[in-house]
Amino acid sequence: MTSASDTVVTGVGLALPGARDAADLLRTTREPAEPVDPGTLLGRRGLRYKDRATQLALCAARDVLRSSGLLPADGEGGLTVPGDTVGVAVSSNLGNLDTVCEVASAIGTETTSHISPMALPNASSNVIASSVAMQHGLRGPNLMFCNGPTSGLDAVYWAATLVAAGRCDRAVVIGVETANPVVEGLLGEAAERLLDGAVALVIEGEAAARARGVRPLAALGAYTRRESVRAAVERVLPEGRPAPGIWLTSQEKPPAPGTPGFPDAPRHDPTGAFGRADGALGVLQCAAAVARFGSHPTGTALITTGEDTDDAVAGLLLHPAREEHP
Amino acid sequence: MSWAITGTGAVASIGQDADEVFDALCAGVSGRAPLRGFDRRAFRTAHAYEIDDRPADGTDVPSRATAWLLRAVAEALRDAGLDEDLSSTPVIVGTGLRELRSVELRWCEDAEFDLGGLHFGTALRERFGATWTYTISNACSASLHALAMGSDLLTAGTAEAVVVAGVDSITASMFGLLDRVQLDPPDRVRPFDQNRRGTLMGDGAAAVVLTREDHPAARRARGRLRAASMNCDAAHPTAPDPAGIAQAIRLAHEQAGIKADDIDLILLHGTGTSLNDEAEATALGDVFGGGIGRPLMTAVKSMTGHTSGGSGLLGLIVAARALAERRVPPTIALDTPAGVAGQFRFATGPTPPEETERLRIAQVDAFGFGGVNAVAIVEGVAA
Repeated sequence: MTSASDTVVTGVGLALPGARDAADLLRTTREPAEPVDPGTLLGRRGLRYKDRATQLALCAARDVLRSSGLLPADGEGGLTVPGDTVGVAVSSNLGNLDTVCEVASAIGTETTSHISPMALPNASSNVIASSVAMQHGLRGPNLMFCNGPTSGLDAVYWAATLVAAGRCDRAVVIGVETANPVVEGLLGEAAERLLDGAVALVIEGEAAARARGVRPLAALGAYTRRESVRAAVERVLPEGRPAPGIWLTSQEKPPAPGTPGFPDAPRHDPTGAFGRADGALGVLQCAAAVARFGSHPTGTALITTGEDTDDAVAGLLLHPAREEHP
Repeated sequence: MSWAITGTGAVASIGQDADEVFDALCAGVSGRAPLRGFDRRAFRTAHAYEIDDRPADGTDVPSRATAWLLRAVAEALRDAGLDEDLSSTPVIVGTGLRELRSVELRWCEDAEFDLGGLHFGTALRERFGATWTYTISNACSASLHALAMGSDLLTAGTAEAVVVAGVDSITASMFGLLDRVQLDPPDRVRPFDQNRRGTLMGDGAAAVVLTREDHPAARRARGRLRAASMNCDAAHPTAPDPAGIAQAIRLAHEQAGIKADDIDLILLHGTGTSLNDEAEATALGDVFGGGIGRPLMTAVKSMTGHTSGGSGLLGLIVAARALAERRVPPTIALDTPAGVAGQFRFATGPTPPEETERLRIAQVDAFGFGGVNAVAIVEGVAA
């Protein structure tokens, strides 16, 4: 039995408008970019009846499997590890609301003879996680998190927990949300303010990563889910230690620098560049933290998702892989 | 592993609490009724297994699933002798359809519903002060996935006690899509019967408190969880794969340190669709081999309908009760078992005492869209 803190990040995958590599996640302003086109990236075959959230997740999944060496980088051949050693944890709050609302609305005005039977898989919210498994033969535990504002960070933690429990050696984590008229209508936000993309990580046992000769990009530290940002920070950074090198937070009104109880660290909010990220936020933040470790190889990253007004706030520490951590 | 199932709670079309539900099941009572939640003219399907607690005929209100969940959790806590303060206890909720019915009502009928209530953490915080909460949406096996996750928190020593729950209310979109794809929509759920025509949805919620053996509440355990496996077929969007299911069953046996021959009772997933029942029967035949006729089997969806994400945990509660009270609910509407299921020994009426005497270990099956499988092993405690 390993503990969740013996798990590492061994890959980052992106399907974000205007982001070519992880360093782009450190941008703070939105740049004009074309929407991600899954048909161009993956080929149109097999995508026809998949909803956009699933298509975006499939793009990020392939990217992360290649970047972590779980698929050959040249695209030739299948998984480099047995499929039952790979779990999946996807987070999305809004992914299939378009299907649900459109089908319900069609039934309300007509009868069920007017709806397409091909929408059936998309009416089940776990369609994203199971489609990723199916595409790549990932037969480990398959979990779909729809856990509100903290959902992405929760999925990262549970991927580590699955590995620590010995249920799989590694898990693909994906955060995905889409912009469409249903989501816009329900959130009351314009499409250009919403994330339309997916971000992926591979979370792996340190020993399993070492066994296949892969260099970790980051190591997971303490995680919590608490009633407030302050309580979450206090829990993962007792007495403010170790002082983080960066704090990823997407609070609408973060505390002023120097406020007691909060770290006096530079802050970064990737939603400025990529839009309101909902269930994808925590995964996006973790990927951005990994990108920062590329240029700042010392200092931890504190990540918090959620507001004091939400049902809870999740907190997670990420360590640069080469740094000694407790 | 061995965790104490210290409290249970349930609500379904056939009962308001776990006692009522279990008694109704043992009496062979069905919750089937003409469709009440939706405008019948839009569907060919005319029946469902609903909890019809709407304010009036033809009207629907948001957050009914949330209300059932809170009731089941409160009952489980009471049953475990614990208070309602969950500020430091993890709560994991497995659901197929979240509060998607409420989203439909807002989208189609302008009902008041804040999207913050789409996952259940918001209501669990308000009612129980819980902040360590997870809503996972894992189709029809969601609550047994939640159970496996809860057991992992106990194993890791992260928590001394966890609350695991499952809930679903019927959505118009899922009910409508099933109506669309089933050639000749069924009028009842007939698991494993030669003349089964498909599945019908049911409403319901279930909750259990799971604790370490050294927890004070473990003294009043209703049963013990010995294993909870999960895996994924990675094969087909909606059709189950017998190989994946068989693997999930083997994983559970292995985790519990038992052999197929040790299983005395199986709470089948049994949804009444040709594909599902056939895949489950084939997988069981594969794992149990020549011993397939030994365990007693039952499929309670014949009385509750397909309660989706909540169904696995309801099966677990029924299994623990059956072992403790030595009463096994029958499978109703089963005349002639189809195919491999012809070799199964179904409970179809009252179980004779000499039979129930030997019931000690039960297996609970749950399989869902996307090939997500979870299987639990429960050990009974003497009544």
